[in-house]
Amino acid sequence: MLSPTGRLMLDRRHFLAHAGSGLGGIALAALLAEQNLLANDARPLRPEVKPDAPLLPRQPHFPAKAKRVLTIFCSGAVSHLDSFDYKPELVKRDGQPLPGGEKLVTFQGANGNLVKPIWAFKPRGQSGKMVSDLFPTLADLADEMCFIHSMTAKSNTHGPAENQMSTGFTLDGFPSAGAWVSYALGSECRDLPAFVAIPDPRGVPQVGPNNWGSAFLPAVFQGTAFTADKPIPNLARPAGIAADADAATRDFLKVLNDEHLRTRPGDSELAARIASHELAAKMQLRASEVADLSKEPKTVHEEYGTRDKNKTKAGFARNCLLARRLLERDVRFVQLFNGSYAMGEGVGNWDGHRELKKQYDVHAPVFDQPCAALLKDLKRSGLLKDTLVVWVTEFGRMPTFQKGASGRDHNPKGFTVWLVGAGVKRAFSHGATDEFGHHAVENVATIYDLHATILHLLGLDHERLSFYHNGIERRLTDVHGKVISNVLA
Amino acid sequence: MTPLFLAILFAPVPGSAVGAVDFDAQIAPLFARHCSACHGATKQKGGLRLDRKADAIRGGDSGPAITPHKPAESLLLKKARNGDPAERMPPTGPALTDEQIQLLTRWIEAGAPWPDAKEAAAGSDHWSFQPLNRPPVPLPKRPNPVDHFLESRLQTLGLTFNPPADRRTLIRRLKFDLLGLPPTPTEVDAFRNDPTADAYEKLVDRYLASPQYGERWARHWLDVVRFAESHGFEMNQPRPNAWPYRDWVIKSLNDDKPYDRFAFEQLAGDTVGADAATGFLVAGASDQVTSPDPVLTAQQRADELHDMVATTGSAFLGLTVGCARCHAHKFDPISQVDYYRVKAVFAGVRHGDREVKSPERAGRAKQVAQIRAEIADTTRRLEDLEPLADPAATDARRSPVNARVNVERFQPIRAKFVRFVVFATNSAEPCLDELEIFSTGPDVKNVALASFGATLRSAGNYPASDRHRLEHLNDGKYGNGRSWISGQPGRGRVTVELAEPTEIDRVVWGRDREEQFSDRLATRYRIDTSTDGERWTVVASSDDREPMGSGSPAPPGLNDRDRKEWTALSRQLRDLRAGLADLLRAERVYAGRLTTPEPTYRLHRGDATAKRELVSPAALAEIGSPLTMPATAPDADRRATFARWVIDPANPLTPRVIVNRLWQHHFGTGLVDTPSDFGRNGAKPTHPELLDWLAAELIERKWSLKQLHRLMVTSTAYRQSSAASSDGLAKDAQARFLWRYPPQRLEAEAIRDSILAVSGKLDLTMGGPGFDLFEPNSNYVRVFTPKKTFGPAEFRRMIYQMKPRMQLDDTFGVFDCPDGGQIAPKRNRSTTPLQSLNLLNSTFLLQQAGFLAERVEKDAGAEPNARVKRVFTLAFQRPPSDREFSAAVALVKDHGLPALCRAVLNANEFLYLD
Repeated sequence: MLSPTGRLMLDRRHFLAHAGSGLGGIALAALLAEQNLLANDARPLRPEVKPDAPLLPRQPHFPAKAKRVLTIFCSGAVSHLDSFDYKPELVKRDGQPLPGGEKLVTFQGANGNLVKPIWAFKPRGQSGKMVSDLFPTLADLADEMCFIHSMTAKSNTHGPAENQMSTGFTLDGFPSAGAWVSYALGSECRDLPAFVAIPDPRGVPQVGPNNWGSAFLPAVFQGTAFTADKPIPNLARPAGIAADADAATRDFLKVLNDEHLRTRPGDSELAARIASHELAAKMQLRASEVADLSKEPKTVHEEYGTRDKNKTKAGFARNCLLARRLLERDVRFVQLFNGSYAMGEGVGNWDGHRELKKQYDVHAPVFDQPCAALLKDLKRSGLLKDTLVVWVTEFGRMPTFQKGASGRDHNPKGFTVWLVGAGVKRAFSHGATDEFGHHAVENVATIYDLHATILHLLGLDHERLSFYHNGIERRLTDVHGKVISNVLA
Repeated sequence: MTPLFLAILFAPVPGSAVGAVDFDAQIAPLFARHCSACHGATKQKGGLRLDRKADAIRGGDSGPAITPHKPAESLLLKKARNGDPAERMPPTGPALTDEQIQLLTRWIEAGAPWPDAKEAAAGSDHWSFQPLNRPPVPLPKRPNPVDHFLESRLQTLGLTFNPPADRRTLIRRLKFDLLGLPPTPTEVDAFRNDPTADAYEKLVDRYLASPQYGERWARHWLDVVRFAESHGFEMNQPRPNAWPYRDWVIKSLNDDKPYDRFAFEQLAGDTVGADAATGFLVAGASDQVTSPDPVLTAQQRADELHDMVATTGSAFLGLTVGCARCHAHKFDPISQVDYYRVKAVFAGVRHGDREVKSPERAGRAKQVAQIRAEIADTTRRLEDLEPLADPAATDARRSPVNARVNVERFQPIRAKFVRFVVFATNSAEPCLDELEIFSTGPDVKNVALASFGATLRSAGNYPASDRHRLEHLNDGKYGNGRSWISGQPGRGRVTVELAEPTEIDRVVWGRDREEQFSDRLATRYRIDTSTDGERWTVVASSDDREPMGSGSPAPPGLNDRDRKEWTALSRQLRDLRAGLADLLRAERVYAGRLTTPEPTYRLHRGDATAKRELVSPAALAEIGSPLTMPATAPDADRRATFARWVIDPANPLTPRVIVNRLWQHHFGTGLVDTPSDFGRNGAKPTHPELLDWLAAELIERKWSLKQLHRLMVTSTAYRQSSAASSDGLAKDAQARFLWRYPPQRLEAEAIRDSILAVSGKLDLTMGGPGFDLFEPNSNYVRVFTPKKTFGPAEFRRMIYQMKPRMQLDDTFGVFDCPDGGQIAPKRNRSTTPLQSLNLLNSTFLLQQAGFLAERVEKDAGAEPNARVKRVFTLAFQRPPSDREFSAAVALVKDHGLPALCRAVLNANEFLYLD
């Protein structure tokens, strides 16, 4: 096996030979590598996917800081102003008009006056980072977090914005970040899906499976959706079929397939399908095992809140625990959702248009303790060393209340996400919004940049990781994106 | 940089001596070396591109980079000479040398000559833009010219065709290919035993004439055009009237409609009486979320039109026109203006249903009016049977509330004010789409209407919404889109003040008379009236209604005679409504609303808020014959003119692209492996001459697709065996040169259809609205819960599945089924454990395995061995081998026939074709 540098050398050598220079040689390649000139190589890198083993682990483009990723997606758009982005001026100017805001028309229409954060901010941890009381338990972990306060999104409506956060594109039908990562790196874990999406116990987020779809990437890279309470569809042996009958049927199927393959020797696709039956059988065991939380110690259950009398919270807590169990089994990409749209605007998610206080008083307790427990657990177990955790939401909210309401409208021009774990700084804040938290003004970051950074931490060059689809070298970051090097540890 | 590196990769810049500057030798390499990384094909920082003449002259965001003859004014030189390294270009590495700057100065002084040949090289000399060149076919060794081209190419590789496939393999291949279904054992036997010389050709003709051909090949086309039956994005609500487009595609293919006509109708079918065809234009996603924010609205509109431009380009022309939305195409001769010209062609098209123009329309309108009158009459008679509300009663006398409409009858009372107070709902804040109050006497009127001077007051409204407003309660318009929602969960109060005191005896209210929504329904409420607004009299309440979801639909308070009449009238009303829905459905198609085109502007970097110059509709400037239109051209003219350009024989792309699609599905891979991109970044054809010959042949054969199918499937290449050889695999593993017939895996739809065909349950009913694989749901953001049980309604071919966007079927979706989000001109073929689990354990498969077992028991009688043989014959159209037979008999003996059926439906042989 070659080191990533070695592979690049070979690539380069191949290129030089191809270019007919006749000078292809290790010495030159090594020299070029030393000069770090390879960074200028912009040719697409398409992972070599073996049709008969598409999820075999693949090497990154360069040494990686993170081996796996957990994204925590709070769907509905969490107000950055009431959680992580402290704006003293907003407190001071509470009740006054937003300068230049008289004619401002946002997603739902006209806006009223500036409104200070509904939850008070306090300094936290050793860093003294100001975080609000909305998430009291999570706030205690501020020293672990690397905030990006200058995020911007391209759309101010949930569908396209969720699409962008999960797939890089606002339109429907592009591969999700998790699918890209499984495509690039395969999986170290043989008998679980490489990419798992865990929807909220209340249902799926706005754009549902587009958050974890494979679109034009092969279906093998799509996220498999299940929760601690809702297993993978069709995973279990059907109720009406006895274990011995099931085993005998599979054995017979193997006879059929072996006979079929015998007369078609060397057909790797047929062999792959036979192998996939075996993999499926292993997955039946392993996926049931991973979702079985009963062996976890009581203290763990208590820490997460899996048996809380708030049923939604308990369900989300079980999902958090499931996320940890997946990561420790080396699942490559886990996407954990909090919030669902099935119940209407703001009822089951963070879309606080009308009565933000009342709505968030319902949602915050569901999220806070379980999520904090998950982070602490990952740290304690050492998983954080090579796991990147990314907390996201599709956009931010306005520093004003909507006219005639006591909630905040959508604001894609400035919002906050945070990262924790492998390869990122601790107790660090990157970028800033203006004095009211309305627009990102300092080190403005895009979702492309965030995706570029995630890929970078996984050892992947976002400008080169590509899939050739109908004449276009498609990338997660389209033709944009810059690694936010400031957040790298 | 080390000197070694420089020596290897950087040749010294030649010719700094005085004399004419040679662009090719001196300037182009300089740009390539120092500028192209940021201002070239892959990146255009600041909107500037220096590797193509037109773009370079146009300049970037800061204006023209080069001002010919005026070096001092040329931004490019100012940047190169800038003393401040932070401002200087190139931004990294050393500054340009004095010699290089001299060279550039002299070049600009000379007028910046840039030979056009370079420009041509950047685009229009590309193979696919060249006129069709019908190559001669020398006196062929083989009767089918297709084989001539293939064979001569194979010879250069030292390969030959395989021997012919056996007849069972061939009929399986052909029937799946043309019809998407497995042959029946009878068909196989008949073909195997047909001694005539043209047995195969007869089979081909029979299949091409079968109506299932259109269903099979329509699926391929629907992939190309991203067809789905829901809107996509957040709400993803269904499009119940989208199916006529699918039916139109199926019928057009079955009728062998000439392809030029097929293409034309999809772009401008409204001009020739083919309304459903323009379903093509709006088959893509569109965001149903509306907002007063003008930027969002402009963005959504731009995205809709982008989808039309991009899909038109890729489906018909095989060009990624969509790439030029933000900047000139990086590889193909498509300028940004070109993109906006094509966008202007569609600027009158909006998403939505359209009334179909048809000869039957006038008659239908009369029928509709008549049914509507009958509905009104029946409704009135039903209402008259409705027991009077009794505010004092506590026992249930009246029907439960329902989301559509509720009638409250009471003793006539004089009122100036009427109040509707809600105490509970089935979910969230209560919503009413209309509140009607009827006067007594001979001239019954809805006196609540604002147009009669009634005014409204409420205890709180749902904030900041366009759809849900207080004034919608009495605007005479029904439906969720014109409704009122209270400001309080579970509660609400609204008061109507009539223009003058009036005697009334009836209040009618509903949640959504258009029957889309059933949430937010008031379940506990009271209605009271007043003459002075101070003293109130209760006239009706929910207290004497049956609770929701209980009892018979008829009001419990009716006597026997009235109950009978009520039941009869209700049935009549239901039938009338169904009849009306059918009529209206026949009238409305999701084929786009055709409106006056909005002005089209070039958008700087594709930003919907950065409007630049006005753009008139036109075709792509560098492709086919030139075509421009006046800026004032009406919508239909724009599309019809553009469509004629698409199918103009001078445009070589259209025929090349479609024959390649046919080839792709017959042989597994197209001659061009990027079927919707024939541009420079697309794949090159494996057999360019064959492609051109086929394209020319298509035009010669009056664009008949069926004749082209016939040509392809009767070739030796198609009829050869798929057996592998080590020599073939070594030289051409993918069999792109067709030394063997490449084995295929069935697509999701063909797998599902086959299972149904073999189990004997397949319903071949054609056309009409599809079946739904998800449970009904009326949430405003559609929730998709997969059905867990299936009946005959779901046993039609899968092309008739009501296909939601982005939401794949639970069982078969994972077999690389496209999601309808973007175009899918070529499907992936991946193998995953989830496919295995779905096919082994899904309720659908187990149910079908059971049906297959029942069928076999009926067909083969009680004898176990006969049953086993019958299973093999049905599933694989062959008898079992000895080893298979004994294993199967043992399995059936121990675990029953359904176990064997479950296994065969999962076998590789069932899913793969030789």
